[in-house]
Amino acid sequence: MSTRASNDDRISLLQGTLDLLILKSLVFGPCHGQGIARTIQRQSEDVFLVEHGSLYVALQRLEEKKWIRAKWGLSENNRKARFYSLTHQGREQLAEKAAQWRRLTRAVGLIVDAGPAAQAEEA
Amino acid sequence: MFKQKRSAEDFAEELQAHIQLEVDELRLEGMSEEEARRQARRKFGSVRREQEHFYMQGRWGWLDKCLRDLKHAFRSLLASPAFTITAVVTLALGVGANTAVFSVMHTVLLRTLPVKDADRLVYLWTTPPPHGTGTVNKNETFSYPVYDALRNQNGGMEAVMAYVPLSGSKVGVRIGAQPEEAEGDMVSGDFFSGLGVSLQRGRGFTAGDEKDHAPLAVISNDYWTRRFSRDPDVLGTTLYVNGVGLTIVGVAERGFEGLEAGRSTDFWIPLQSRPELNAWGNPLDEGKTYMANPTWWCLRLIGRLRPGVTKAQAVAQLQPVFQAAAYTGLGTPSPGDKKPVLNLVDAKGFPSYGEEYGRPLRLLMGLVGLVLLIALTNVAMLLMARNATRQREFSMKLALGAGRGDFLRQLLTESLLLVTAGGLLAWLFAIYATRALGAWAQIESSLAPDGAVLRFTAAVLAVAVVLFGAVPLRTALAGGPSLAIKTSAVVSGADTGKTRMGRVFVVLQMTVCVVLLVAAGLLIRTLRDLENTPLGFSTDGLVVFGVKPQIHSPEQGREFYCNLTAKLQQLPGVESVGVMMWRIGSWSSNNNEMLVDGKLPDVPSGGSRTVRTNVVGPGFFRTLEVPMLAGREFADSDTVSSRHVGIINEEFARRFLPGQNPLGHVIDTERRNFPITIVGVVKNHKYRSIDEEPIPMAWYEYAQIPVIGRMDVEMRVHGEPLAILPAARKVVQQMDPDLPLIQPMTQRAQYDLTISSQVLFARLAGFFGLLAVVLVAAGLYGALAYRVSRRTAEIGIRMAMGARRGQVVWMILKDSLVLTAIGVAAGVPSAMLVGRALASSLYGVTPLDGTSYALAVAGVVCVALAASALPASRAAAVEPLTALRTE
Repeated sequence: MSTRASNDDRISLLQGTLDLLILKSLVFGPCHGQGIARTIQRQSEDVFLVEHGSLYVALQRLEEKKWIRAKWGLSENNRKARFYSLTHQGREQLAEKAAQWRRLTRAVGLIVDAGPAAQAEEA
Repeated sequence: MFKQKRSAEDFAEELQAHIQLEVDELRLEGMSEEEARRQARRKFGSVRREQEHFYMQGRWGWLDKCLRDLKHAFRSLLASPAFTITAVVTLALGVGANTAVFSVMHTVLLRTLPVKDADRLVYLWTTPPPHGTGTVNKNETFSYPVYDALRNQNGGMEAVMAYVPLSGSKVGVRIGAQPEEAEGDMVSGDFFSGLGVSLQRGRGFTAGDEKDHAPLAVISNDYWTRRFSRDPDVLGTTLYVNGVGLTIVGVAERGFEGLEAGRSTDFWIPLQSRPELNAWGNPLDEGKTYMANPTWWCLRLIGRLRPGVTKAQAVAQLQPVFQAAAYTGLGTPSPGDKKPVLNLVDAKGFPSYGEEYGRPLRLLMGLVGLVLLIALTNVAMLLMARNATRQREFSMKLALGAGRGDFLRQLLTESLLLVTAGGLLAWLFAIYATRALGAWAQIESSLAPDGAVLRFTAAVLAVAVVLFGAVPLRTALAGGPSLAIKTSAVVSGADTGKTRMGRVFVVLQMTVCVVLLVAAGLLIRTLRDLENTPLGFSTDGLVVFGVKPQIHSPEQGREFYCNLTAKLQQLPGVESVGVMMWRIGSWSSNNNEMLVDGKLPDVPSGGSRTVRTNVVGPGFFRTLEVPMLAGREFADSDTVSSRHVGIINEEFARRFLPGQNPLGHVIDTERRNFPITIVGVVKNHKYRSIDEEPIPMAWYEYAQIPVIGRMDVEMRVHGEPLAILPAARKVVQQMDPDLPLIQPMTQRAQYDLTISSQVLFARLAGFFGLLAVVLVAAGLYGALAYRVSRRTAEIGIRMAMGARRGQVVWMILKDSLVLTAIGVAAGVPSAMLVGRALASSLYGVTPLDGTSYALAVAGVVCVALAASALPASRAAAVEPLTALRTE
């Protein structure tokens, strides 16, 4: 299937990462749930396949925390859809979580990339 | 629309939109409409699950779950009304009785005064004061010179304050035109500042007010509300107390009811020095008020310790000052005299109540604690039995996927419901029981169950919730899901250890029941003995009332009473009339040491020389029908100018004049120089109260004694005693229209008052004993019936194998009898311990009274037999085949 990577290539999302991905995908403007799922899938080059169950739970949660807000609107092809957009608070959270993520990946990278395994890969 | 209340429909719509968008996109990628729709659906997964998820996630999901649990619990409790009612009523009785007793105990023993830094307040008490003094209470009252010395001592005490009531009961007060009554205290100038009581209106007193005996008054919040309807202009109003005008200058803060134990003071005035406002409302003693009389110990004292000073340090500093001041007006102490010793008592509860009510209250607390224990085990046992029969239901639920959490929640909800219902009922019960107990302890100060009591009840209930919730959980989970498919009752009941727990509960209850029954039995026998105690005379037809005429000289008094007696004597139906100064059977007495023939009589070491005296008129003993053992009674011929005569009782003669003819000996008190010659000896009879032991007594003749104030009139009449009162009132009012009859009642009623506290205590204990028996019987019946019902299949097999009915019944009965035997074996020694603790409350029975024990044991055995015989015979009546087909 064209839109789906094989199971082996997929990586389950780290706890809490989904929030970051959702917030990030809303930076460029309001988007509906399906669009967010698609964006994440596409941008991760089909590595992440967002489970819809967790997506809507996460959206609900973020909305309750007032990091995003929702409004019914029309999609490009004139379908009624619920559009989510970042709030001011959401933007702050995004910056913070992104910085956290960068620190984390750098730290993990420092460990994973050092030592014989990494050299073997280079070789 | 509120965000939190986003509807499920809205969410469903969003999901549909999602799928629609996906379909659109897939079609753009080149799929057919149908294929795209299918693909999108599949990719999304279960829409319904998402919707459920959404529903549960919402803010109301949690509450909804609870509501569902609550509904479920309600239904399941309603489904077994007998269980529910038993459990709720059991809880209500157990918890309610505890709350009530704790409320009263808290007030009497633990509650601190509602003032700032109440923990530094101490009451000043003393050992009996020196010879030659008169006291109101020989441990709690002090003379004015002692107070004066102690307060000027700038040691460990920040302040020493004095207070004394204006009357033994209420004092006459007038605000407008109508005379009324109120409770008032005279207090030192630093009373309010020293105690730390603030004034919600106006001001308190100053040292100057005390020195000048300023005619001022501060009223209590309660009196302000009750009498003045919280009139803001009350300050400046004049309050006439015994005719003396006093200006109200302040209202004390809410909650402060004064320091009189168990009473609520209405107003306070600075210490006065005038005859109308003498301490305790007493007439002047040889023309002197309490201030001028160093030998009348009548003031109560309370002090505030300096911060960091202990009671011992403060006492050490005050002791020499106190002991020096104690002999003011008495000369130097003789070498053999025991000096009085000052001590300090925490101002908590009513310390003076400690002796009379503290012990019984602690005992009651113990008894109701046992009742609570029985109630709790009962409910736990009921729940266990109920849940065992529900094991199928639990197993089915487990098999259908219910989690442990769900079970715990469901069981806790059921307990919560039971306990809430029980708690509400308990509160109602407690309110009534508290009132009854308050009446027993004669507490007029506010007795609302307060915060501490509430916390106590809540704690008991919280324990109950956890206990009742957790006990069945074990049973519920013990079965496991596999039980649902098991089919035989024999199997389902055989493999659990909880039957052992049930046995322990049953034995525990039997033990507690024996203890309670013995305690109740001892107290009820005490009660019966008290009520049947011979007084030494017959009270049939005796009626008593007091009169307090305006008398200005002894001559006038003599004439008044002489006249009154003569007139009453002429009323139709009156057999005989006598007068007395201290009403008999009212606890009041005048205690002195007496000289016999000029010297203190020798008594065996440790013996008491105390003699109670009373002042009576001619015909007094004839009216009471107390037999004269020797000599004669007072007669009209005993007058001021004739020889001063007295009468003693047997006990006086036995103790102070052994082996002699008492007639003709001269006796006198130490303090008052008024010797009398013994002319008669009467048989011992009860004087102050029903439960007193015989004590030496001496009677003066009223016409010969110079002090005459209020007297009480004793009349013996034919027929109904109280019926004479209207005629007697008419006689009194002909002599002085303003004179009321004071506390008219039958003499029997007056004596009964003296044992009212024991009677109530015995009744309460009896009630709790009965309550325990009822609870134990109900619990036992439930537990045994349940145990038998679990063995129905087994019984069926036994009978199918040829067992006879009798054998089956015996098998069941034997089981209960063994449990009963263990319970009784444990209960009797425990009851002996309790009996020993009760010893001081007993009268006429020993703590090891055989009858009480026998009755208690018989009672428990009866309950056990009755509770097991019914289920046993029912079990034996079962058709073997039916029993085997039970499942």
